[in-house]
Amino acid sequence: MSGTHAIAVGDQRTSQPYLLDADAAEAYGRALDSPRRRRPPKNIHSDPDAAAKAGFTAPIAAGEQTVAVIGQFLAAEFGMRFLRGGRIDVSLTRPVLYGDTLVSHALADREDAELLHLKIWVENQSGDRVLEGTATLRRDA
Amino acid sequence: MSDDSRLPMKAENLREGIHLGPVFYIIDADQVKRFTTALRDPNPAFDPARDEHAFVPPTMRLQDYALLIATQFKGGKGGVHAKHWCEFHAPMRVGQAIRAEGTITATFRKRGKFYFTLEYEQHDAASGELLMRQAITSVLLNEKGEMK
Repeated sequence: MSGTHAIAVGDQRTSQPYLLDADAAEAYGRALDSPRRRRPPKNIHSDPDAAAKAGFTAPIAAGEQTVAVIGQFLAAEFGMRFLRGGRIDVSLTRPVLYGDTLVSHALADREDAELLHLKIWVENQSGDRVLEGTATLRRDA
Repeated sequence: MSDDSRLPMKAENLREGIHLGPVFYIIDADQVKRFTTALRDPNPAFDPARDEHAFVPPTMRLQDYALLIATQFKGGKGGVHAKHWCEFHAPMRVGQAIRAEGTITATFRKRGKFYFTLEYEQHDAASGELLMRQAITSVLLNEKGEMK
C-alpha cells in the first residue's frame, strides 16, 4: 500500500461525497456486530421517540460512522503514513441525520521534523461542519 | 435468579479508574468486507479477496468501547458520541487475534450533561504489540433517555 500522495503545508484535500442514508447506517451497523455489541433496543439511532427525548429532531447516525468516513478518506490519501504512526483527534459538532451527504476535508496546517499536522473536518450538504479536529501523519513514507 | 453481577450503566456507577475488559476477538474477513461495503470504500489494501491478511480499515474497531463497557455494565439508554481520538500504531490484519481493554479516565458534568471518557487499547493477543490507542468521550443519557 503506498497511498502516500504528496501534500505540502497549505494544500487541501477533499473527499468524494458520502450519502449517509438509512441503508448506509444499517450496513454499517451490521458490519460492526462481530462480536455483538451492547446497544439499547430503542436508541437515538433507530427510534424517533428515543431521539426526541435526547433532544434531536429525528434519529441520528452513529458518531463513529462519521469518524469512519473521514478515517477511510485519510487512509486512502496518505496510506501507511497515516495507518502506522498517524493520529486523529475529533469533536462531533453537529448531529448527522439520515440522508445527509458528507464530504471530508484535510488541510495541511504545519509540519515539524517528524510529523505533518492537518486540520480535518466533515461537512454536510448545507456546508455545516459535523466533525472537526486534527490529524497527524508521519512525514516519511 | 440472575448471576449477572454487572452494574447498571448510569452516572452514579461510573468513576475514574474503572478497568474494563479484556475482550478478545479475531479479525474476520467478512467483517472487513461488510465494513468497506458500508463505507463504499474500494481501497484494495482493505480487500481480503486480494490478500488473506489484508489490512483492517483503521476505524473498524472504534466500537470496541461498547464491548468493553458491557464487561462491567448492563442496561442504560446509550450515549451521544462527543469526542474521539485514535493513535494508529500498526494496522490490524485479517485473521489477527486482538486483545482490547480500557479504563474510564474521566467523568464530569458540563452544562447539565454527564460525560465520561473511556481510554482503550488494542494489542495483538499473541505478541502483545500495541496496535491502537484511543479514547471516546460520550454524553451518557439518563434513565429517561435525556441528556441530563
